[in-house]
Amino acid sequence: MTGWVAIGVPAALTIRLITVAATALLAGRPRPCRWIASGGSALASALSAMVALQVIAAGRSIEGFLFLHGASGIAFGYTVTPLSAWFLIVLGIVAVPVALYSVPYLAHAVAPSRTALAGAGFNVLLGSVEAVFVANEAVAFLCAWEVMTLSTAALVALEHEQRSSRQAAYLYLVMSHVGAGCLLAAFLILGSHAGSLSFPVMFAVTGLSGSLRDTLFVLFLVGFGVKAGLIPFHIWLPEAHPAAPTNVSTLMSAVLITTGIYGLYRFCAFGLGVPDQAWALGLMGLGMLSALLGVLYALAQTDLKRLLAYSTIENSGIIVLGLGAGMMARAHGHSTLASVAVAASLLHVLNHAVFKGLLFLGAGSVVMANGTRNIEHYGGLLRRMPWTGLFFIAGAMAISGLPLLNGFPSEWLTFQALLMGFTSTAGVVRLNFPLAGAALALTTALSAVCFVRAFGITFLALPRSPQAARAHESPLLMLLPQAWLALLCVGLGLFPGVALGALEGVIASLPGLQSAPMTAGPGGMSSGIGSFDAVIPGLLGVAALTAFLATFLATRRGVVRRVSTWACGGTLTPQTEYTATAFSKPLLMIFTSIYRPRREVDALAGASPYFPQEVRYRAEIEPTFERYVYAPLVRLVLRAASGMRVLQAGSLHTYLAYVLVLAVILLMWLGGTP
Amino acid sequence: MTGNILILCAAGMLVSAYLMVGQKALFTAIRLYGVQSFLLAVVATTIAISESRPELFVTAALTVVLKVVLIPWFLMRTVDRIGIHREIEPFLNVPASLLVCLGLTVVGYRVSTGFQAGDRDVSHHLIGVALSLLLIGMFLMVTRKKAITQILALLTVENSVFLVAVGVTTGMPFVVELGISFDVILAVLVLGILVGRIVDRFESMDVSRLSKLKG
Amino acid sequence: MIPDPLFTTAWALLHAGGMLAAAPLLKTVIKKMKARLQNRQGPPLLQGYYDLAKLLQKEPVRSETASWVFVAGPRVYFAAAVAATTLVPVLFASAPLEAAGGILLLVGTLALGRFALATAALDTGSPFGGMGASRDMTIAALAEPALMLGLFASALAAGTMNLGVLVRGLVERGPAWHPSDLLAFAGLFVIVIAETGRIPVDNPATHLELTMIHEAMVLEYSGPDLALVEWASAVKELLYLTLLVNLFMPIGIATSVEAGAVLTSLLAWGGKIFVLAVAVTVAESTNAKLRLFRVPELLSVSLGLAFLALAIRFL
Repeated sequence: MTGWVAIGVPAALTIRLITVAATALLAGRPRPCRWIASGGSALASALSAMVALQVIAAGRSIEGFLFLHGASGIAFGYTVTPLSAWFLIVLGIVAVPVALYSVPYLAHAVAPSRTALAGAGFNVLLGSVEAVFVANEAVAFLCAWEVMTLSTAALVALEHEQRSSRQAAYLYLVMSHVGAGCLLAAFLILGSHAGSLSFPVMFAVTGLSGSLRDTLFVLFLVGFGVKAGLIPFHIWLPEAHPAAPTNVSTLMSAVLITTGIYGLYRFCAFGLGVPDQAWALGLMGLGMLSALLGVLYALAQTDLKRLLAYSTIENSGIIVLGLGAGMMARAHGHSTLASVAVAASLLHVLNHAVFKGLLFLGAGSVVMANGTRNIEHYGGLLRRMPWTGLFFIAGAMAISGLPLLNGFPSEWLTFQALLMGFTSTAGVVRLNFPLAGAALALTTALSAVCFVRAFGITFLALPRSPQAARAHESPLLMLLPQAWLALLCVGLGLFPGVALGALEGVIASLPGLQSAPMTAGPGGMSSGIGSFDAVIPGLLGVAALTAFLATFLATRRGVVRRVSTWACGGTLTPQTEYTATAFSKPLLMIFTSIYRPRREVDALAGASPYFPQEVRYRAEIEPTFERYVYAPLVRLVLRAASGMRVLQAGSLHTYLAYVLVLAVILLMWLGGTP
Repeated sequence: MTGNILILCAAGMLVSAYLMVGQKALFTAIRLYGVQSFLLAVVATTIAISESRPELFVTAALTVVLKVVLIPWFLMRTVDRIGIHREIEPFLNVPASLLVCLGLTVVGYRVSTGFQAGDRDVSHHLIGVALSLLLIGMFLMVTRKKAITQILALLTVENSVFLVAVGVTTGMPFVVELGISFDVILAVLVLGILVGRIVDRFESMDVSRLSKLKG
Repeated sequence: MIPDPLFTTAWALLHAGGMLAAAPLLKTVIKKMKARLQNRQGPPLLQGYYDLAKLLQKEPVRSETASWVFVAGPRVYFAAAVAATTLVPVLFASAPLEAAGGILLLVGTLALGRFALATAALDTGSPFGGMGASRDMTIAALAEPALMLGLFASALAAGTMNLGVLVRGLVERGPAWHPSDLLAFAGLFVIVIAETGRIPVDNPATHLELTMIHEAMVLEYSGPDLALVEWASAVKELLYLTLLVNLFMPIGIATSVEAGAVLTSLLAWGGKIFVLAVAVTVAESTNAKLRLFRVPELLSVSLGLAFLALAIRFL
């Protein structure tokens, strides 16, 4: 290892700290403040990604210390394992363009007085995510985890005048701390058995009893599931994403979610020895549930950023489904099959970050130009914002899993893993795999519906509001990051072998996996031994492009007559267009038992009841989890809390008496054991 | 080849049960029952030929006469007379019912592996299908409201029992078989008349209205 | 992996060209048979070609509100359909571009075309386009799991998802006549009906506002644009039927390039497609179009059949 790699990670964190300090000092001057915050962030992200690339290329972890205090013996070490490196690369690929995007975006979207806070928070968030990825012992990990949560909450509550922002931040904090509490408990249990809080020692612990391992698994699952946005722990996500400024919500969707995924990998799947079949089934089930419900809820949204947030839940589900399939294979001892499933899942982490980052940035531009997040007020933006529209459609096609773009390879590989899983397990359990396949197929197809709707209603036809008619294209510095991500969507879609090749080292480093050769040149993919299929998307791309160009040239006509759209004899107005609500109405009706939609139609009668002067339509879907899972839970906690109020007497002497009683009990309990 | 015909017929019976769950027209449901019984007769005939058990020809003939011709004709006449041609909205909607039936099929197959005779490939499928049919028939009875559909569901259950008896065991004693057949026709007659009475009394054959009878 | 670029290119061109040439005939044949069943004369057999030629010569008329998406839609749809043909074996037991991928790539490519057309339908601002796109995408989405499960059943039985390898395997081993094939076939047949917009799911002949699905989506197209949409739909239909034929009964398919074998293969393929066309015609003529909200019931039956096919084969 050359010198710069060894100090790369601490250097990146130092750059972030300096940036934060500089941002705070320049708080009074928003313009340089924005540039410093973004520049420093981009530099640090790029640096850590470069280190990560070196780690993956060398296939070896690098270690070092972040903080060393000789006198007290406190030392926070870090290890960049190939797995961490993969997540760091994903972070770098998205965080650098987002940092550039932030410069003009912050100028517009955030009040000058809060620029410093936004810029510093952005850096603290990214720094803590990096620290989470590289921490190699529990205290550092939990500290970084906590800083990450707090900085995100601060950014979500940036516009704290708005009640919704405050509530979103509060909900996020509560959910995160429930998760963090689970993590703390799990680390303490594991640490007390290992006698150390260092991860390598903790993972090496053997001889845990079955029920203890199950408990640990559930604690880790809840702890990381909250961050990963898995249903039913997802309720913070669709609230927090829209509330935060778009550059932050992009990071939350593309990067913050991956910390949960990383945790599931490191601790649930590969930290507790060979997984049980029941765990794998549980993860597959959660993945399927999150994927299906995520996309179904996304379909019903009219808030563009909420829609994207729900779609993040969906993709998180797909990632976890792949991981679950991998754990299942590992539980049955199929190490090569497990590696295919894990590769599919890790590849989707990257692909999701790229296309969701792109979509969020596009949504940010659209929201900035229109001043609203409601897609019913957009329309016709393709004329006013041609570049944003072009990039957005690339992202929309990628997320719909269409070939030639990067959503396809990872979903393809997931399907392969599911099929291979079916052939290599026995009994009724194997039926999970085709069921998961069917669920994944439905999810993908529904997400295509969702994004045809999101793109079509936003960018096509006539403007539906005066703001949309006056919208203007974003500045160049906001378009370039989108261009870069769109290019990556196409590049990773045509050359999936490149990313998959990089993954081989990561997979080889995970315990119990045997890397199968899955690439066939940069453009090709197969699923290794026992493979069902191999794809070369580029080959189809050539065929499709040839056909497209030939068709285009053959049907080119010199003169095209332009007429107005036929509107059944009336004039075409934005009111006669199909709305986003109408577009998803058939699916709402079909899945009515999931949505439980409610609608109110108020007709203001005119002279005749058949010709109402005004019709008001209000529709909403029932927030099932909030109402039936969390509301009873909250009531229970409140009731317990009011019961505890008896203890709170308000008298100092009573409190001192509590301390005395506790001391006596503890002494008796501890003194009894030799 | 024999094995394939048997599995095919058994699968066909299961499909007919699925279709019965999947649609609401009463006539179609009755015809589907006819098809199902016919497939049962084919199963009996095939086994009679391949294992040279001539007594099964009688079973097959009886099945055709009773369950393919007589019972469907009688039920159709009943439906015609009372003039109700469609099942009303069941307790569970159709796609959900079908998903439940898929689950029941899995359960049926899972259980069938536990039987002694389940080791033979064909028997495994016959038992699996028969158990699934049994469960689906019961499920139909639980979720549907029209008396006719419930009779059909009962008959489906009976078909499933027959399928196991014919296909897996060495066969029931002939007397028992005859007895069951007459029991079935008697049951259908009684139920048919009962349906007529229910319609007369309540002007509907929605059996969930029977709950009004209790004081 | 790709045998010889020049040969592959030539073959792919020939293959796609052949499918393009044959597709309008299938549509007309079905129309003709349907007419005969209703005691009408029906169009001449070459009507499909006449229609396309007429449309291609017309002046394109486009909406003022439409953008480049509206122009790109039919072209991407057409290109995707043409590219998809090169993944499916038709007369020979291999496909020109089978190295590019198998079943999943095929399904994905067709989804790409559908995505483009549905997006383009939203571009004119006409409420019909939105309505058609919404319904078409909804039905396609609901058909997807059954389609995948049905194809999985075949793929798992053959141990491969690559269509060329799959068909060669079938030819080598001979048809198994396993009952699960029949169930999977029935399930997939329903899906093909849904995907090609036939009764009882959609009515290709209607232009009544409330009942049309696919036609509503392409209502704003005219001239060459419409020709592309119609042609690509025909190719898609032929492709689906070919897929059914070759996945389940690849009898007579040519394994060598001898004249006799090719002729036999051509006749066998044509005959089998004709039989399926008769089945489609009968299904269209004897059923009434389902209400939109009854379609999920039909599709769930098909999902059930596909699942049963898997269960019977592998449990």
